[in-house]
Amino acid sequence: MSIIDLAGIYTAYEGGEKAVIRNLSLRVDRGEYVVIGGPNSAGKTTLLESINGLVKITHGRATVCGLNVSRVSDEVRRRVGYVIQNFYFDPFTPFTVEQVVMMGRFGRLGLMNRPAREDYDAAQRAITQVGIEDLAHKTIGTLSGGQQQKAMIAHNIAKEPEVMMLDEPFSNLDFHAREYLQGVFKEMARKGVPILMVAHAFDGLPDIPIRLVVMNQGRISCDRNCRAEEVEDIIRKECVVPGKCLRRS
Amino acid sequence: MLETLIENNVVCHALEAMIFASITCSILGVIISRMSLSSIGFTMSHAAFAGAALGMFLGANAQMTAIAFSMVVAALIGPVSDKAKMAADATLGVLFAMSMAVAIFLISYMEYMGKGLSASSLLFGDVVSLYREEIYALAAVCFLAILFVLGFYKEISAIMFNMKIAEAAGIRVKLVYYILLFIIALSVALSLNIVGGLLIFVLLVTPASIAGQFCFNVRSMFIVAPAVALFMSAFGVWAAFEYTMPVAPLVALLLTAAFALSVMLSFKRRINTKMN
Ligand SMILES: Nc1ncnc2c1ncn2[C@@H]1O[C@H](COP(=O)(O)OP(=O)(O)OP(=O)(O)O)[C@@H](O)[C@H]1O
Ligand SMILES: [Mg+2]
Repeated sequence: MSIIDLAGIYTAYEGGEKAVIRNLSLRVDRGEYVVIGGPNSAGKTTLLESINGLVKITHGRATVCGLNVSRVSDEVRRRVGYVIQNFYFDPFTPFTVEQVVMMGRFGRLGLMNRPAREDYDAAQRAITQVGIEDLAHKTIGTLSGGQQQKAMIAHNIAKEPEVMMLDEPFSNLDFHAREYLQGVFKEMARKGVPILMVAHAFDGLPDIPIRLVVMNQGRISCDRNCRAEEVEDIIRKECVVPGKCLRRS
Repeated sequence: MLETLIENNVVCHALEAMIFASITCSILGVIISRMSLSSIGFTMSHAAFAGAALGMFLGANAQMTAIAFSMVVAALIGPVSDKAKMAADATLGVLFAMSMAVAIFLISYMEYMGKGLSASSLLFGDVVSLYREEIYALAAVCFLAILFVLGFYKEISAIMFNMKIAEAAGIRVKLVYYILLFIIALSVALSLNIVGGLLIFVLLVTPASIAGQFCFNVRSMFIVAPAVALFMSAFGVWAAFEYTMPVAPLVALLLTAAFALSVMLSFKRRINTKMN
């Protein structure tokens, strides 16, 4: 059975004119490396949030890790990593990077349970893996945008998720960090954790078979396997509808 | 509870009440100031006021109706914000206005009928004429608040960090947030008799702000804020009785002075221009 199984889902926001995701079906299996592309407002973020239940689907069926997302979305979110697209932490946020990374474990720990040795170890491993040991005791709000992004990636790695979703995780990262973290995600995929990555820039994609999903106006307009260097060209070709494209042609 | 230490019953009760109220409010104040919910002070004091007016109107015990009405308003904050898709702060404003309207309506109505309402203890507090039961209730709510913060510490800290990220981590944000709002509102309502609606902010906001001047993380804020509040209110009660001054305003002024001092002394504001 697929880890993610969406069958004809619709997602609409309260007060929106029409559904943002329209009759979309998608199956993702173990170890797949999925890159999701498409123009602004195509519904990429909404798709990710429909998968982990942060927004409710209005029609259709969504099953993730064998769980019905509409019924037990808390449980789904405990198992699915999600690096959100936009966040802002004010400079007075009274939390250190270490504490924020640890929070990745809180959902799966459940109410009332306190973190144990293994949770601290997982948080420590995530910090090492992302390479932010030197920031561990810094206040998160005082870090640079890229450093905060790395902390949020570590937060989700500490969760040890069964699926990893990333919404433009590299928008603030330098090329060295991009390549390094792509390697980390490639390794996660190799261990069986499917990666779903929304991106607008495609440098540094790993040299493994990539499944490219292109979204357009709430639908999947292209879903195929390709190599890293082909991604950008395919997306350019897919999005040539005048006015709705990445590059006018 | 402290009778064995302090012979004068009035001083003893005042001290106990101040201690419980200041610990409760300052711990919750750390959460309140982080989540910009400080208008919960206004809302709850006016809810209690409306409840008292309702009690007088119905000829019931004003104290009991004040608490009952506050609890109803407290329970409404979370669900109303959610349904109306508003920040809790806006909901607090709406509920504040509603409480005020209920109170004014009833008071005006009673005036027509020739009845008056004395609510000065709700507005100004009355720490010298407390009943033993009120102190027990305060002790209970203090205990409840501490238990709640300890029991849900990881959820509360994640919510204080960022609601959306907490939710994405799989934390049951809504449940914890509703309980949080309810406990805060209840604690505020019960503490009103001690310092009154006008000074409740001093206990909610000032100790947390003092802690914020020195602490880089929440855990220490949860310890520093109640410690400062406890010390200042104990000292305030002692000084007030020693030199016959009003208790609550004195504590308020002492805490404010401590805040001013902490701003001046805070090492957080030091600018480091080290070049090597
Ligand atoms: N909270 C919301 N309420 C109402 N409409 C929303 C909300 N969030 C998104 N939308 C709408 O849904 C549509 C899709 O938004 P979404 O954020 O999924 O796009 P996206 O593909 O992630 O775009 P981008 O590349 O800019 O991040 C947009 O038209 C947007 O206006
Ligand atoms: Mg987006």
